[in-house]
Amino acid sequence: MALAGVVEPPTFSVSFRAHFRMMFREEWRQNVDFARKRHIMMFPIMLALVTMVITIGLRFLTGEADIVPVQDSAEAAAAQADKALSWDDLKLGLHISLFMFSLGMGSFAFIGRNMVSQRAGGKSYLLAGPALLPLELPPVYLAYYCKEVAFYLCLILGPAVFGMGLGILVSSFFGISTPLLWGSLLVVLACMLLTMMQGLAMSFFASAIWSRSRIGAWLVPLSAVAAGVIVALDIVPFEWAILGLQVQLSHDFTLIPIAMLASLGLAALGAHLVPTDFEVRVTARDELFEPVHRRLGFLGNGPMRTLVAKEVVDVWRSGTMFKMLGSYCVPLLFLLALAWMADFARFPIPFNLLSYAPFLGFFGFNFYAWLNAVDSPDFLNGLPVRVPQLLRAKIIVYFLMTTWISVIFLVLMASMLDQWAGLVPALIVMTANSVYIVALTALLMGLRPNKAIFDTSTMAIFWAATVVPLVALFLLSFTQGDMSLYQSGFTQVASEGIDANATTTNRIGDAEASFSGIIAISVGLLVLGAAFLAMLERRWGRSAFEN
Amino acid sequence: MTEEALVEARDLGKRFGDFVALHPLDVTVHAGELFGVFGPNGAGKSTFIKLLTGQLAPSLGGARVLGTDVAKNPQKVKANVGIVPESESPPSYLTAAEYLDFVCRIRDLDDIEAKVDHWLDWFGIEDKRDALCKDLSKGQRQKVMLASALIHKPRLLFLDEPFVNLDPIYQRKCRGLLMEHIANGGTIFLCSHILEVAERMCTRVAVIDQGHVLAAGTLDELREDPGEDLEDIFIRLVGASVNLVEETQVEEEE
Repeated sequence: MALAGVVEPPTFSVSFRAHFRMMFREEWRQNVDFARKRHIMMFPIMLALVTMVITIGLRFLTGEADIVPVQDSAEAAAAQADKALSWDDLKLGLHISLFMFSLGMGSFAFIGRNMVSQRAGGKSYLLAGPALLPLELPPVYLAYYCKEVAFYLCLILGPAVFGMGLGILVSSFFGISTPLLWGSLLVVLACMLLTMMQGLAMSFFASAIWSRSRIGAWLVPLSAVAAGVIVALDIVPFEWAILGLQVQLSHDFTLIPIAMLASLGLAALGAHLVPTDFEVRVTARDELFEPVHRRLGFLGNGPMRTLVAKEVVDVWRSGTMFKMLGSYCVPLLFLLALAWMADFARFPIPFNLLSYAPFLGFFGFNFYAWLNAVDSPDFLNGLPVRVPQLLRAKIIVYFLMTTWISVIFLVLMASMLDQWAGLVPALIVMTANSVYIVALTALLMGLRPNKAIFDTSTMAIFWAATVVPLVALFLLSFTQGDMSLYQSGFTQVASEGIDANATTTNRIGDAEASFSGIIAISVGLLVLGAAFLAMLERRWGRSAFEN
Repeated sequence: MTEEALVEARDLGKRFGDFVALHPLDVTVHAGELFGVFGPNGAGKSTFIKLLTGQLAPSLGGARVLGTDVAKNPQKVKANVGIVPESESPPSYLTAAEYLDFVCRIRDLDDIEAKVDHWLDWFGIEDKRDALCKDLSKGQRQKVMLASALIHKPRLLFLDEPFVNLDPIYQRKCRGLLMEHIANGGTIFLCSHILEVAERMCTRVAVIDQGHVLAAGTLDELREDPGEDLEDIFIRLVGASVNLVEETQVEEEE
């Protein structure tokens, strides 16, 4: 057998093509690994059905159709029309949520570093290939970016637009008119794709900068807050900050290829900026486990204290604490900036301190998912501990790390809105939601929340179980808009939903009833949260440690 | 060796969907034995150890380890045995010393510092005590895992390919340690595909392939020819096993 002579490493395009195809398969198999194939296939079907229903209901959202007319004068009808969501509001909501999702999913530079450092463990991924194979980082990371875009196009955007098409079809079949047109679908798809490409590219670029140096790690969150303030002050309008939104509003289609190329260019730049650093530095570390363990005396002397100490050391040493706190604080800082700059009295929805509190709990899902991505727990299989103990330890770490931030946020918000009367109930609502949502996440998803997001059955239960109490608390909070006067009423909310007006009634009794409702729901959530924690044993007691 | 049975598997089997990882088997390991399970890659050795240590639930049958029903109380089993898994590493972000400290606390041991120092020193990784486990070499991580399984001086050890990443010096040193463990009344359940280990150390062996136990007994009992060494026995049995599986498949198709 003749031995190979000297060969050149593969070119950029060869590396890119080979990786793009295989990474797509890898992504698919990773998802199948957690959820059954049937569940993953159900995800786009469910999404298509949901967008179909929303498409059919578009006229009700835009106020162009009333289910029950509740206004009896021309002025009141006009006021209601003012408060209905406009077509542009809906586009804004669609693109903001997609953009935020893309930002959250695009930090490949961090993912790549983790994969490189863990390749000698139980799991190894294609992104870690350049450490071993004759590959440059840029084509591999660019392929990863393109794979993410393609994967989400197939799994999310495509089915969503297909659902819109179904909505138009069903609407015409039943004689219900929808403002969405067949000709718009391709435009919507292109604009959503553009928003997603931009979000993923920006997040990837930012994570690459962050990974390069300590200065970069400071620069990125500061830039994120600065960008939020610039947009909030309208120096750069929202529609220009998210290019897909701009195209959808202006119908300037020449922008699509330019913006897509710009996003691709930004991703390529990010791919070139990811540090080529496969060196494993063996350096002595100061003792951390024992000092942390000592400080956790309030947890007693059992394995829980030991597990919590280990988790704290993990998030600190992995550098995840900084990233996690950043991801938790940036949206809160943005909300504070918004509260500082905006006049909430002008808003059609009477936001107040109690409106924010439930959402603080909702961030718990993200944080819990981060906690599970830090390291593999497989080594615990040989020790006398059980998965529910580790899940509880992670929940304790979540509360230790975030509660003080949430409390500071609510105190600052109470100060800015001058709603000190609502602080204590807001703290109760925040705590109840946090306990409930984190316990629910742990119960449903165990040690694998990051993989559960594409498991339809798990996510369907999760969304139903979180959205219902969240919306109830959110709507009830509008009755508490003016804390000093208690001017709103439960009936107002019940009859008009998000059109509830904080200044039309003066029934203190109703506002108090709503307040009792908020507290009752919060207590209910606390009880359910405790029940979920107790159920961890039954659900995960016999499971192996793997994520 | 005594007649006390520390490991008793009865009709113990495991399926993953349609795939049979381990066909129902009966095995008894007595106190003072070094029982070796040998087989090629993918034979079912690790599955067997995971079933006996409560890391996997059996699809069929059951097992008792140190008198405890594994399926009913896996935590009690784990609390009283030492386990070295084949492929798992210590946690990435703890140092070697911190991980041993962690294990001591989970196992509620006293005199932690002395124990940690002793085992780091014994395995020659004292100079790596403050290095993160993720930064250690495979062999060093293996040493940390071995130390974590030995630190509470368990009566029964389950070792899955314990020598595979060790250099020859530490392979020999560990073999000596395991023999000392047996001499002190300890018991070892060892999975490996390194036949030399079996020949030198094991009191009894079982050869498994594709989830079947092909043969079990002392080396003398397994020999067909007095001149046969374990490698000959292994190849004879595993070669026959390939034929057995092919015959079974033909029968199933018929």
